[in-house]
Amino acid sequence: MATESETEQGPLSRWVDSSIQNPEKVYRAMFYVATIFFLFTTLFPFYWLLVLALTPNDAIANFGFPPVPNGFNPGAFIEVFQQVPFHLYVFNSFVLGIVTTAVVLVLASLAGYVFGRLDFPGKAPLMLLILAVSYFPPAAFVIPLFRLFTGNVTLFGVAPPELFNTPFAMILPFSALFMPLSIFILSTFYGQIPDGLEDAARIEGTTRLGALFRVIVPLSAPGVATAGVLTFISVYNEFFFSFIMTTGEADQWAPLVWGILSYQGQYSELYNLMAAASIVGVLPVAIIVVVAQEKIVSGLTAGALKE
Amino acid sequence: MGKVILDGVTKRYADVTAVNDMNLDIRDGEFVTLVGPSGCGKSTTLETIAGLTKPTEGTITIAEKEVTNLPPKDRGIAMVFQNIALFPHMDVYDNISFGLRLRDYPKEEIDRRVERASDIVQLEGMLERMPDEMSGGQRQRVAIARAIVREPEVFLMDEPLANLDAKLRVHMRTELQRLHKELDTTIIYVTHDQAEAMTMSDRIAIIDGGELQQIDPPLVCYNEPQNLFVAGFIGSPSMNFVEGEVTASGLSTPDFDVEFDPGQLSGVTPGDALTLGVRPEDVYLREKSENVSNPTQPIAARTDVLEPMGDEIFVYLLTGDADPTMEADDAMPQNQLLMSVDPSSDISEDTDVEVVLDRERAHLFDTETGDAISHSLEFAAVEPGPAGTEAEGDD
Repeated sequence: MATESETEQGPLSRWVDSSIQNPEKVYRAMFYVATIFFLFTTLFPFYWLLVLALTPNDAIANFGFPPVPNGFNPGAFIEVFQQVPFHLYVFNSFVLGIVTTAVVLVLASLAGYVFGRLDFPGKAPLMLLILAVSYFPPAAFVIPLFRLFTGNVTLFGVAPPELFNTPFAMILPFSALFMPLSIFILSTFYGQIPDGLEDAARIEGTTRLGALFRVIVPLSAPGVATAGVLTFISVYNEFFFSFIMTTGEADQWAPLVWGILSYQGQYSELYNLMAAASIVGVLPVAIIVVVAQEKIVSGLTAGALKE
Repeated sequence: MGKVILDGVTKRYADVTAVNDMNLDIRDGEFVTLVGPSGCGKSTTLETIAGLTKPTEGTITIAEKEVTNLPPKDRGIAMVFQNIALFPHMDVYDNISFGLRLRDYPKEEIDRRVERASDIVQLEGMLERMPDEMSGGQRQRVAIARAIVREPEVFLMDEPLANLDAKLRVHMRTELQRLHKELDTTIIYVTHDQAEAMTMSDRIAIIDGGELQQIDPPLVCYNEPQNLFVAGFIGSPSMNFVEGEVTASGLSTPDFDVEFDPGQLSGVTPGDALTLGVRPEDVYLREKSENVSNPTQPIAARTDVLEPMGDEIFVYLLTGDADPTMEADDAMPQNQLLMSVDPSSDISEDTDVEVVLDRERAHLFDTETGDAISHSLEFAAVEPGPAGTEAEGDD
């Protein structure tokens, strides 16, 4: 319109001119740039895994950009289960994740109730102390725990049970490490449930504990789901303790990462299978997150209380 | 059965005493209202009965069983809350049956009781709704149904109508009375609204500063208040108070005198500071006082503000030189008298009038302690307050 007379201007300066008139345009452009950037950084690794998985292992080299599979070998997704019992590794990780999540949610609910709903002297310092546990590098615990779990330590003259190569050697440290964050999340959510509801439940016939699990926890479903999903994913992905606390056989409760690593033998490195296994391992978690997200969004507490 | 006895119940927090030496003896089937200004300890008292708060001292007995250290669930009580407190994640049926399900009642029994309770509060056909799909009044009915379904010995109600709109509140008031008649259980009801207290209760317990001021049937509280606080709290608008000094022939106040024989009152000698209390409906225009058998001498006053209410007119009078006398911490002028007159009265603002007080319905209080000394200036029925009733409500 107005720019028609200024014929020397190129398309870029015309665009700049019109965006000065209409800054909405710039914001939208920036939104797309940011979205594409984040989508690229999150999705590109998956694409790269897919490219590697579909490429036969002897052709894995010299990818251009953008990378495309050098060949087409979907059989890798079947081969992963033939080479090693990968389904067992996934199963182990699942069990570890679910048990740890259950332990964490139950204990963190109790602690969250105390920190969120009760008043007692020393509450804030104690909460800080608990959070400080999660700031500790897990590596600091690994040697003493390894000695403990392999039965090299006696406590008060009693040798503790040998937990090495059992799920407990992983569930115990996982629970301890991921507990503080869950306590923090849950205490925030539980603290927001009105006292009247807990009082009503107790009058109706529950104990405090009953009120917690029958009323407060269900009403805090989004918070419980958040804490649960975070814990589960952390455990499912965990490498450090999982790698040290088992010897790596599927029937010794070795988790997912051990499975992926087992495609790397002394003489061969089956990168395509590692990539395929990684994709298979990610899928269940992706499904869980999608399902749980619906729960998080559902907003159970909406508008039921007159305060 | 549903007797509730509080014996010396005291609740202290770190720096405040919320309830101080509360003694209540509530009979089976009685509707008792705890009433008082906010923060007076009435809700804390109810919470100690419910078991939600543990008293620092004293014992609580419900249905002849000492429950001071029992958890709420073992006390045989049900409670309706101010914020209604329905469980938002359960439908109406689950809300009402919550307590029964916890106690493992058989399914048929639960169904039968839920149906009966929802009949009583008229919730037919709503059992599958969620609380957030209901109106305030319906939710309150669900809360009441949840309380009655367990057939408790005692009902506790903590300002259950406070969050409802005015019209619904009046309606629910009659429903609660009907419910009380139908169920015949003990109800302990907390409110700050004295209209609720007056209309529903068998007895009212007036509480101030954590202490019981008086517990009596509503009309006794109204006609024979035991101290200045009760006199000022019960009745709307509030009783007129005029401070004065006892003379040989009566009470002398700054702007007028009322005559009685102080010799008839035990413990009162000339020179004592007494407060005269008279309700607005016991103040009459002189020309309309022919039905008052025992009027005081005419008191000169000037009308200040009129409040026509429809069925009556509240007239604010200023005695003396008709300038409001106020000190910094006075809520209203010291020389103000409130009078209630017939709506047909021909009265206008800023005119000089003469009024009389009904001597038989005037009260005398000890200004210092606030205790009632007499509920009439004709000393036929002298009923001093019980010894030891400390009143702090003489502000």
